[in-house]
Amino acid sequence: MKRSSLVLLIGVVLFGVVITIAASILHEGLSSHATPTALEVVLARNVRHLAIPASARSAQNPLLDSAEDLRDARRHFADHCAVCHANDGGGDTPMGAGLYPKPPDLRLARTQSLTDGELFWIIENGVRFTGMPAFSNNGSRDAFGNHADAQDSWKLVHFIRHLPFLTVAERIEMEKYNPKGPDARSEEQEENDFLNGATPQQKPESQKHHQK
Amino acid sequence: MKRRRFMFLFFLAFVTGSAFAHGNKVHMRGTVLKISADSVLVKTPDGKSVEVKLMPTTVYVLRSNGQDKPAKFADLAAGDFVVIHATPKDSLLEGDEVKFSVPAATKPAASPSSNPKP
Repeated sequence: MKRSSLVLLIGVVLFGVVITIAASILHEGLSSHATPTALEVVLARNVRHLAIPASARSAQNPLLDSAEDLRDARRHFADHCAVCHANDGGGDTPMGAGLYPKPPDLRLARTQSLTDGELFWIIENGVRFTGMPAFSNNGSRDAFGNHADAQDSWKLVHFIRHLPFLTVAERIEMEKYNPKGPDARSEEQEENDFLNGATPQQKPESQKHHQK
Repeated sequence: MKRRRFMFLFFLAFVTGSAFAHGNKVHMRGTVLKISADSVLVKTPDGKSVEVKLMPTTVYVLRSNGQDKPAKFADLAAGDFVVIHATPKDSLLEGDEVKFSVPAATKPAASPSSNPKP
């Protein structure tokens, strides 16, 4: 690439960043309630794409898609990811609703069209300036550069592919693995007692939902 | 060290506070009064009637013998106990999950063939 073209490209990107920041500030201040503008979305997706090394993008999942691995990944996802992404990957959670940007619906083409390598890289490294953390630890790595938990991330890649076909039975199983505080546990117990035919509590019939 | 701990606690409090503040889901429980193709009318324990819109994405779960089992819209009937997780939208409630159980009094009696032999 010619030097002048490179300078022009950098200039365009910087201009886009400035416009995006300005739009963000004008758009509901800096509140996380806002939804990113189309320009921000396009810019962020392209920057993320460029940030993933080509070798990582083309990486193949070393694990076969087995029922056992899928079960492990389901439980792992329920425990670590569902608080923002929801068990079904739709992203409709109280935590997700408060993030900027909101978690994507993992079942849709925008996520499903990413390569296995891209999904793995995002799980491992997170996405800067979003709520997506990096899940790889910085501990010892094997000869291939994979850390001890890399297999868990590859299992999650299989699970993300499975999300559009998640069954109600799988969702019910995942709910057992969702992290819940004492209030949510107590509320769940009250609901089950009610359904089991125990005397309905004299609490309000509807209440704000704190955690999903 | 103290400063780090304080920062961590501050962060934790901030994150937890955000989660509670942004919760927009509603849980309701009651008895099914009436069902139509796209909504369910529920009588709550305090006597109010609340309509919940049923969506194509609404998930149905049957609570039976202390276990949750996948179910479908057709399994839901008037008189069932119901716990609904819903999302308020405009002036309506859209059902995310409808978990229900059949009250003992309305459960169909076991057929003779299903009785254990003496």
